[in-house]
Amino acid sequence: MSVAAPTARPFETTTVQRAIPWLVLAVGIIGLQIAFGWVDGFPAAWDLTFETPIDDAGAWMRANRRSHWLFTGLFSPLSGIIDGAIDAVGGFLAWLPWYVLIALVFLIPARVRQFRAGAVAAFALVYCGLIGLWEESLETLALMSVAVFIAVLVGVPLGVWGAMNHRVEAMIRPVLDAMQTIPAFVYFLPLFMLFGIGNVPAAVATIIYALPPVVRLTTLGVKRVSPQAVEASRMFGSTTRQTLLKVQLPMARPTILTGLSQTIMMALGIVVLATLVGASGLGSPVLQSLNQRRTGRGIAAGLAIVAVAMVLDRIWRSLAQSERTARIDRRVLGWTAIGLAGATAIGVALGWVDFPSVWTPSLFDPMDQAVTWARDNLSFLTRPFSDFVVASIYIPARDFLTDTAAWPVLVFVVAWVGWMLKGWRLAVFAVAGVLTIGLIGMWELSIDTLVQVIIASVLAVAVAVPLGVWAGRRPRVEAFFGPILDALQTVPSLVYIIPAVILFTVGIVPGIIATVLYAIVPGIRITALGVRQVPTETVEASRTFGATPRQTMFGVRLPLAAPTIMAGINQVIMMVLAMVIITGLVGAGALGFETVRSLQRSLFGLGFEVGLALVVIAMILDRFTEAAAERLQPPGGH
Amino acid sequence: MGSHPASDNGQIIDPVITVDGMWQVFGVKPEPAIEMARRGAGRATVLQETGCTIAVRDVHFQVRRGETFVVMGLSGSGKSTLIRGTARLADITLGRVLLDGEDLTAMDAETLRRVRREKMSMVFQHFGLFPHRRVIDNVAYGLEVQGVDKKERHRRALEVIETVGLAGWGQHYPQQLSGGMQQRVGLARALAVDPEVLFFDEPFSALDPLIRRDMQDELIRLQRDLQRTIVFITHDFAEAIKLGDRIAIMKDGVFDQVGTAAELISNPATDYVREFTNDIPKVKVLTARDVMEVTTTGSGWREVRETDTVESFVPFLLDDIRPLTVVDDTGRPIGLVDRAAVSRLLGSDR
Repeated sequence: MSVAAPTARPFETTTVQRAIPWLVLAVGIIGLQIAFGWVDGFPAAWDLTFETPIDDAGAWMRANRRSHWLFTGLFSPLSGIIDGAIDAVGGFLAWLPWYVLIALVFLIPARVRQFRAGAVAAFALVYCGLIGLWEESLETLALMSVAVFIAVLVGVPLGVWGAMNHRVEAMIRPVLDAMQTIPAFVYFLPLFMLFGIGNVPAAVATIIYALPPVVRLTTLGVKRVSPQAVEASRMFGSTTRQTLLKVQLPMARPTILTGLSQTIMMALGIVVLATLVGASGLGSPVLQSLNQRRTGRGIAAGLAIVAVAMVLDRIWRSLAQSERTARIDRRVLGWTAIGLAGATAIGVALGWVDFPSVWTPSLFDPMDQAVTWARDNLSFLTRPFSDFVVASIYIPARDFLTDTAAWPVLVFVVAWVGWMLKGWRLAVFAVAGVLTIGLIGMWELSIDTLVQVIIASVLAVAVAVPLGVWAGRRPRVEAFFGPILDALQTVPSLVYIIPAVILFTVGIVPGIIATVLYAIVPGIRITALGVRQVPTETVEASRTFGATPRQTMFGVRLPLAAPTIMAGINQVIMMVLAMVIITGLVGAGALGFETVRSLQRSLFGLGFEVGLALVVIAMILDRFTEAAAERLQPPGGH
Repeated sequence: MGSHPASDNGQIIDPVITVDGMWQVFGVKPEPAIEMARRGAGRATVLQETGCTIAVRDVHFQVRRGETFVVMGLSGSGKSTLIRGTARLADITLGRVLLDGEDLTAMDAETLRRVRREKMSMVFQHFGLFPHRRVIDNVAYGLEVQGVDKKERHRRALEVIETVGLAGWGQHYPQQLSGGMQQRVGLARALAVDPEVLFFDEPFSALDPLIRRDMQDELIRLQRDLQRTIVFITHDFAEAIKLGDRIAIMKDGVFDQVGTAAELISNPATDYVREFTNDIPKVKVLTARDVMEVTTTGSGWREVRETDTVESFVPFLLDDIRPLTVVDDTGRPIGLVDRAAVSRLLGSDR
C-alpha cells in the first residue's frame, strides 16, 4: 500500500492558529455588545405566545373529558385500568392484617432461601409502621408496585426487541436518552392534562421515568449473552423462540435484575413529586414536614420511602430468582400458607388490621432539636456563606447576563462554545435551543435558573472531583464513602432539603446546598471509577521513570481518567437539573417555582413553556458536556 | 484415526458432506470481488480494489461416512469461516453444501432446523455452555428443543455424561467444573442427540496441553466406538496428525493440500505445508504401510502390522539385516520393509 504524502500536519498548530478562535470570540462579543447593547432583554414582541393554544387545549380537555372519544375511548379506560390496579393492590394490602403482611414480605424471599433479604424487607415494613406512616406506606407500595410492574411488562419485551433488531434499537435509543435527560417533573403536566388529578398521572410519570433502565439493561443483557451459547442453541435446531426463552433471557437475567433495581430506585425518586399531582402516599407527609419545618418527621417519612423501595426491590428480586437456589420444602410452605390464612381470618374478624399505634415518633424529636440548635448557633457560619453566594455571585451574575449583556452576545457565545466543542452542527443545535427559549418568553427565567444551575454544578464538581480522585486512589476511603453515597442517592432529594431550609432559611441557598448534596454522588462515583480504571501498567511505567506521585497524578492518571470524569460531570449537571423543581419549592424562584405554580394552579400553557425551557437547557448542557468528554478521549478510540 | 480412506483423488464413495465451490466474501459487493479473484487476483489486491475480504475461496471437499476430516490452518486462514459456512451458522456467498444429498445452503429455516435436530451437532472453542443450566440440562438441551420428555432426555443425558467420564457431575453447574471437564460437557451435549455429523471448532485449543492430550485420546476412543462423520478445525498440526483420517491444510482461504498425515509428511505439496511437517518426527507418524515395498510374496524374518509406526519396528531392522514382512489386519502379507526404505525416509528429514 502506498502512503500519500501528508498535505497537512494536524498535530502541529502554531500559536497564531490556536489564538484565532479566541480572537473570533472576543471580536464577536465586543462587536455584538456595541451593536445591541441598547436592547433591553430578549425582544418581547417576538414572543410566540405559545401558552395561549396550550391553555385552550387544556380548557378543551377539561371540558370534554367526559364526552370526547379521545378520553372516553382511550385515556379514561387506560386511566381506569391503572387506577383500578392501584386500588385493588392497595385495598388488598390494607385489608391484610399488619402482621400477616409483614410475614408475607419475609416469606416471599425466604421461599427461595433468601432469608436475609426477607428479614430486611420485613424490617423495612415494620419501620414504616413504627413511625406511624403505615397507611401512607401501603399506598405508596401499591402505586409503585403497579408502576414498576407495568414498566417491566412494557420494558422487557421492548428491550428484547431492541436486542434482536438493530433498527428498533436505533429508534428506541434516542427516545430513552430523551426520557432520561428530561427532568421527570416536566412530563407531569402533560400527563396531568391527559389523566386528570390523582394516582394515575403519578403512576404514568413513574412508568415513563423508570422505563429506560429496564429497556436498556434488557437489551444489554440479551446482547451480551455469549454468541457461542446462542450458536450452540441454533446448532441443536432451536427455534428463535426456544433460543430466547431457554438461553438468552435466562442468561440475561442478572443484568435485567440490575435494571429492575435501578427502575425501583428511579420510581422512588418520584414519590414526593407525585404528591404535586395529587397522588396519595408518603409524599404528602414529606411535603408537610417541609412546610412545617419539622426535620425529624420529614426525615422519618423520607426514610419510609426508602423502606418501601427496599421492600419492593427484595420481593421483585426473589420473584425473579432462578431455579438455581434450592427452594424450601413444599410441606413447610403448605403449612405456612395455612397458618397465614388462619392468621388473616382471625385478624380480619377481630379487626386487627392497622399497625398498632403504640409507638409515637419520639425518636425524631432529638433530630428536630439538633437542627434547631444548629440554626441558632451556626448562623455565624451559614449567614456569611449565604450572603456571599447570593450577593456576590448569584445576583451579579444574573443581572449581568439579563441586563448588561445583550441577548445576541449570549447567543453568539453559546454558538461559539458549541462550535469549539464539536463543530457547526452542535452550534446550530444550541442556537436553535437558545432562540426557542427566547421565543417562548422564558428568557429571563431561564437565565436565572441557568445561573443557579451553574453555581450548584460548579460547587458540586469542586467537591466531587477531588473526593472522587481521593476515593479512586484509596480503596479504604471508597469503602468509607460507599454507604454514605448510597444513602444520599436513595433518600428522596426533598428529604435533605428540609435541614438545608432550616439552616439557610428560604431562598436559593438551601436549594443549592440540597442540590449539591444530591448531585455529588455520581460525580464522586464516576470520578473514582475513572481514576481506578487507569491501567496499573501505565501507572507503573510512569513510576519507573522516577515520577513523583504528584507527577503521576497530573501527568498520567488525571489525563487518562479525564473522559470518564467528564462523563461524571455530565451526570452531575443532569442531577442538578432534576433538582430544579425542588429548589422551586423552597423559594429559589425561576423555572422551578413556575413549574410548581403551574402544577398547583393547572396553568397548562405556562407549565409547557417552563418544561420546554428546562428540556432545552438540559439538552444543550448534556450535548456540551458529552462533546467535551469526547474531546478528552485520546485519538484512536478508547 | 481408524482406517484409510477409500480414495483421495476424485470422487469419494458415499460422501456424507459435500462442499462444492464454497466462497465466503465479506463486504458490500461480493460479486465483483469473486470475479476478480477468479481472474487470479490475490486477497490483498481484491481487498484494495473492492473493499471485500475473501475469507474462503472456491473450496471443494467431501467427507466420507465415519471419517474424521481435519482442517488445519493458522488464524486468518479462513478455517472458522469454512466450518461456520459448512454448518450454515453463516450463509455463504456462493457454492453449495450437501449433507446426505440435501442442499443445506438452499434450505428454509424450518427444514434447516429439522436437519440440525436430526443430523448435526457442534462442539465450540470456548465450549458455548449454558451457565444457567446444570450439566445434565446442558447435555439434554438438544433433546429438549426436540420436545423429548424430561424423564427420557435425562436418562439419555446421564448415559452420555457417563460415556464422557463425567458420571456424578450431572447436578453441577458448568462454572463449577474445570476447563477440560467443561469441554467434556460440550462433547456430551453434542453426542446426546446422536448426530450423524459432528463439527468441532477448535474444541481443545483453550485447554492446557496435558488436558488437551487427554481430550484427544478421549475423542479417539469415542470415535472408535461411534464411527461418526467428523469435521474438525484446529490450528495445531500435531493435533491434526493425531486425529485426522485426512487433513486439509488451509491458507488464505484455500486448501494448500489435502491428504492423509503420511501423504502430507512424506510428500508436502507446498513450502507452507513443509514448514509444518518439518517439526513432526516422521518415524512417529509414518507407518509400515507408508514405507513398504508392495509385494504379496515377501518373506521377512519377522512380521509387522501395516499400522505400526516406523519407530516401533526400527529396532528389529537394527537387529537383523533382513527385511520385515508387512501384514494387514487379517495377517495376510502385503509388503516388505528394509533398512534402505527407512534410511531414505530419515535422510529426507533435513
